[in-house]
Amino acid sequence: MMIPVRCFTCGKVIGHLYEEYSRKVASGEQPKTVLDSMGMNRYCCRRMFLGHVELVDEIIPFT
Amino acid sequence: MKLFVRELTDNRCSFVVDDTRPDIVNLLRRTMVTEVPKMAIDEVEFHMGPIRDEDGNEYDSNSALFDEMISHRLGLVPIPTDIEHFTFREKCECNGAGCPHCTIIYVLNKKGPCTVYSGDLQPLGDMSLKVKEELIPLVKLKEKQALLIYATAVMGNGKAHAKWQPVTVCGYMNYPKVKINNDVQVDDPQKIVAILPKGVLDHQKGAFVLKDIAPLEKKDASFYDSQIPAIDGKKPVEIGYEENKFVFSFETDGSVKAKDALKFALNILSERFEELREQLSGIDEA
Repeated sequence: MMIPVRCFTCGKVIGHLYEEYSRKVASGEQPKTVLDSMGMNRYCCRRMFLGHVELVDEIIPFT
Repeated sequence: MKLFVRELTDNRCSFVVDDTRPDIVNLLRRTMVTEVPKMAIDEVEFHMGPIRDEDGNEYDSNSALFDEMISHRLGLVPIPTDIEHFTFREKCECNGAGCPHCTIIYVLNKKGPCTVYSGDLQPLGDMSLKVKEELIPLVKLKEKQALLIYATAVMGNGKAHAKWQPVTVCGYMNYPKVKINNDVQVDDPQKIVAILPKGVLDHQKGAFVLKDIAPLEKKDASFYDSQIPAIDGKKPVEIGYEENKFVFSFETDGSVKAKDALKFALNILSERFEELREQLSGIDEA
């Protein structure tokens, strides 16, 4: 639903990077280059973004 | 024991320790993970019922996430902690009542439609306690929804909950060791030089020379060893591990500086052993 505050595996704080990441990816940048530029080096943190589906906006009308 | 710092920034540190033992390095790792304290939000009070703003508009105290989900997310937000200044509530001079030495109270007051960020947490009192990572999304609100929260942060350590663990990825590796057997006949020495990371090995005047071992640090030495072919049952270059030399590295979540976390862990260790020594001297006298 919302991006997790931290990486499930290593505990790195990742929540604050997500909006920048999704903005850049939406504007056509490669997820790989964006993740690299943000210093997300471990694959545990990278999958948090790559596999995330932001569903809040679809849930909100029903709350 | 010898120590060489490889990297030191605010929230990342790695160093090489030589002339030590695995149990000692592991002791340091365990202490860093479980004993270094930090502040984290532990108690959240939600305002229930309608919330009114100055213009008399009425908002519902409801949101897309369950209250316990929001509390959980608040708990994980890193709170800037000066470990020397704050104490555990149980050990505080206020006897657990809550004072500026053991408690931080944050207020979060937001009215929809909006995204609630960690930066919206306003500390009561000292503004230097404001959350540094301001853009962590906590929850989204639609029109007519509002959130009024009082969150209390207290000190704790990693034994109780991962939110009180400032040191995140903490670990160590044995230092790589390169053994060169120049008596082995090699047809194409450059091929073997190319297997290892750049700058480790060189081949001059018919013999392998170890140039620099640093590029092999934090790499899987046994993998590189497996890539080197044996000739008549013997490898021209063997890559193994040093028994008593380690590369230690860790990161922090930003609430505590890497250097402070390391210093604190070492202080805890020396305090504990000092305690033990005192107890033992008591036995001696009896």
